[in-house]
Amino acid sequence: MRLRGVGKRFDGGVEAMRDLDLSVAPGEFVSIVGASGCGKSTLLRVIAGLVPGSEGTVEVHGEPVTGPREDVGLMFQRPALLPWKTSLENVLLPIRVRRRITHDDVREAMRLLTLFDLEGFEHGFPSQLSGGMRQRVALARLMMTGAGVRLLDEPFGAVDELTRETLNLHLLRVHERTASATVLVTHTISEAVLMSDRVIVMTSRPGTVAAEVPIPLERPRSPEMAYSQRFQELALTVRRALGPSGSEGGRPS
Amino acid sequence: MTRPSRIPAPGLGRITAPTALGAAVLLLWDLANTRHWVSDLILPRPLDVAAATRDLFASGLVWGHLRATLYETLAGFGLAAALGVGTALAAGASAVVRRMVYPYAVTLQVLPMLSVAPILISAFGFGATAKIVIAALVAFFPVFVNTLTGMLDPDADAEELFRSLRAGRRRTFTGLLLPTAAPMIFAGLRIGLTLALAGAVVAEIVSAQEGLGFLVQRYSSQLNQDDAFAVVAVVTGMGLLLYGAVGCADRVIVFWRHAGRLPAGSRARERRVRRRLAAADRSTS
Repeated sequence: MRLRGVGKRFDGGVEAMRDLDLSVAPGEFVSIVGASGCGKSTLLRVIAGLVPGSEGTVEVHGEPVTGPREDVGLMFQRPALLPWKTSLENVLLPIRVRRRITHDDVREAMRLLTLFDLEGFEHGFPSQLSGGMRQRVALARLMMTGAGVRLLDEPFGAVDELTRETLNLHLLRVHERTASATVLVTHTISEAVLMSDRVIVMTSRPGTVAAEVPIPLERPRSPEMAYSQRFQELALTVRRALGPSGSEGGRPS
Repeated sequence: MTRPSRIPAPGLGRITAPTALGAAVLLLWDLANTRHWVSDLILPRPLDVAAATRDLFASGLVWGHLRATLYETLAGFGLAAALGVGTALAAGASAVVRRMVYPYAVTLQVLPMLSVAPILISAFGFGATAKIVIAALVAFFPVFVNTLTGMLDPDADAEELFRSLRAGRRRTFTGLLLPTAAPMIFAGLRIGLTLALAGAVVAEIVSAQEGLGFLVQRYSSQLNQDDAFAVVAVVTGMGLLLYGAVGCADRVIVFWRHAGRLPAGSRARERRVRRRLAAADRSTS
């Protein structure tokens, strides 16, 4: 996945991002951190082909992105599950939209739900599940797309700290097993450092890359790593790159 | 949409509370008659109304009229439901259709139906057709407006998800927009059905040879208030039953809005998946 000189200006004249270069290799995990409103979400939507960029080019697997693609999967802050479908049916949605569901699809979906500790809840409806469980169903749905590029927009922003840690572990486990390129948008520095091979720091309005911090920690990663000195140093590097007035993303307030 | 209250009233249950209010009103009503606060010719005693109601059924007189009103109501409602949901779905899917239709839907709602009733009756005759048309016209708007509101309010994230999965218009419609609108459609149908009944009865009062509205009109012009009130009680009972029927359909079709229905739905789906997987295993081995 490669972006060259990507910019986006909305109709109202707001420039969300400018001259953004980024490339993510298969199997690589890249996090994007930045203050609220720095265009992170817009960036993901441009990569996903949901919103057209105003300038520059976006390529996935060497092809220019002109609209939503089957090999790009997206996950949001809210799980966006369909309340009239069970966990299993929600996970199968990406297949259902494309073609007839086979028995193998059902088995694969069941396997994913088991992988995310949702055994016994396959046939439960979203309103019967906890927030963390719903997010895991959404994660399983993302895996079910089989997409080579996974885009996650603050996927665990709305759950509590402990649940978040579990969900991150799930995500790590899956990522370390597959050769997908994953892009995670977050505003939690420790989360970004723990998960990624590289952390991209974005400035706000117009959003552009302020710094790129490689994370040379070994894999598989574990939450305990967050307490090592090396980790703390990396987190500090990212924090410094974000600039002095954190909430304004480096802009003097 | 009604949701069960989360805070249970202490002491007064779901049955006791409304019964207490009802009994108080009946008592006051009876007192108004026996103490001659209101004339017998205006307000009969509740017990007399009850007796008259029983006689209406016992003599068999009411059945033909009841059937006529029920037929007009259901036919008018069916027409309004089909046209209201259909138009709203089209208006929800296309902004052009929406702009085209909306002002007329509002005009129809603003139009006092009672004023057009005589015109419609002279156009469609004294039979059931005019009543059906009037019932349909009255019931159309709530069905239309509720369905349209439901169609225009899908979850933004879910919509984006469907787009990212490259779901076509048809798949997005049946898989997302229609189920999202379903609770609102049913809210519209509930109101629509009660209005269709009111429309049919009012049309019968204006001019008819049969029907409950006709019966009320006849009894009350004879100053036979016991029977007039009894017919009103029958109309009310019919309205409640129809309202309940839509409520039942709502619980079955829009099951995910009713927490109590989820476990059963879960079990049914689990059985279905297990059966299919088992069948697949058998066919491969």
